[in-house]
Amino acid sequence: MRVFNRIVVVLLLAGLTALGIAMIVYAFDMGDHRLANLPQAIGLSGASDGLNNFATNAESGSLNPLDVAVLAAIALVGLILLFLELKPPSPRLVRMQTGTYITRGAVENEAVTAAEEGPEVLESAVSVNVQRKPGAKVDIAASVKRGEDTGRLQTGVRDRVQRRLADVGVPVSNLKVRVVEADPRETKTRVN
Amino acid sequence: MADDLQLARAAREAALATEGVRRLGTGRWAEAATYGPGDKVSGVVVEPDEVEIHIVVSYPLVGSIPALAQRVREKVSLIVGGRATTIVIDDLEVDQV
Repeated sequence: MRVFNRIVVVLLLAGLTALGIAMIVYAFDMGDHRLANLPQAIGLSGASDGLNNFATNAESGSLNPLDVAVLAAIALVGLILLFLELKPPSPRLVRMQTGTYITRGAVENEAVTAAEEGPEVLESAVSVNVQRKPGAKVDIAASVKRGEDTGRLQTGVRDRVQRRLADVGVPVSNLKVRVVEADPRETKTRVN
Repeated sequence: MADDLQLARAAREAALATEGVRRLGTGRWAEAATYGPGDKVSGVVVEPDEVEIHIVVSYPLVGSIPALAQRVREKVSLIVGGRATTIVIDDLEVDQV
């Protein structure tokens, strides 16, 4: 989102720069240019008239409901962008304790290794979300053959991952384990 | 700048001498290193008030990772003086038998 905000600001500043240069050219009546002709010259005479009417209506307090809705939407979008810009960026590393961090990739590798220790797990996909407080949110999807006891396997995977991450010393604030049935011919560990 | 390189080299040696550290990491995105004229020390980032050390840990572990990080911090603290030491675990690698 910060990138989006920057693009918006860059475009805005580029537009203001172009208009500023045009204003200087027109303000000093360079060539045949007249300030009154600027809206026509840039092909915005319609918009210019519309803005004039809008300003007149706003001053007299007679804005139509559509204008009010558009203004409210612009204010809301502005507030949202401001909030997103001011929000501190998400941390990239999992905090284990003060001054000690581990990369998400390392946590993912450990969770995958633990999940796939069981022969019933054909493959697993792990996503690790970093939090501001110590620890990580770990979400595991373990693929198993159709017809397996998914409840028992889910408990087994959860226990193995919890044990492994505890051995390593990674605090886990939230561990989600999903067991999904998959076609063994399409998984990493193939079963004929 | 040259002092930073010297400090980074010393910190790297101290970290590598800690049991359980397999090698130094290089960071995940931009390379974690201390740069100097024509030279760099990978795995150690020296800042004015902080030293960040990226390590790859040997597996099986000798104790837990926080304990290992503490051992590295203790060794490095003699070198870095008053700067804070941040330990980043880049990866865990299984020792080849």
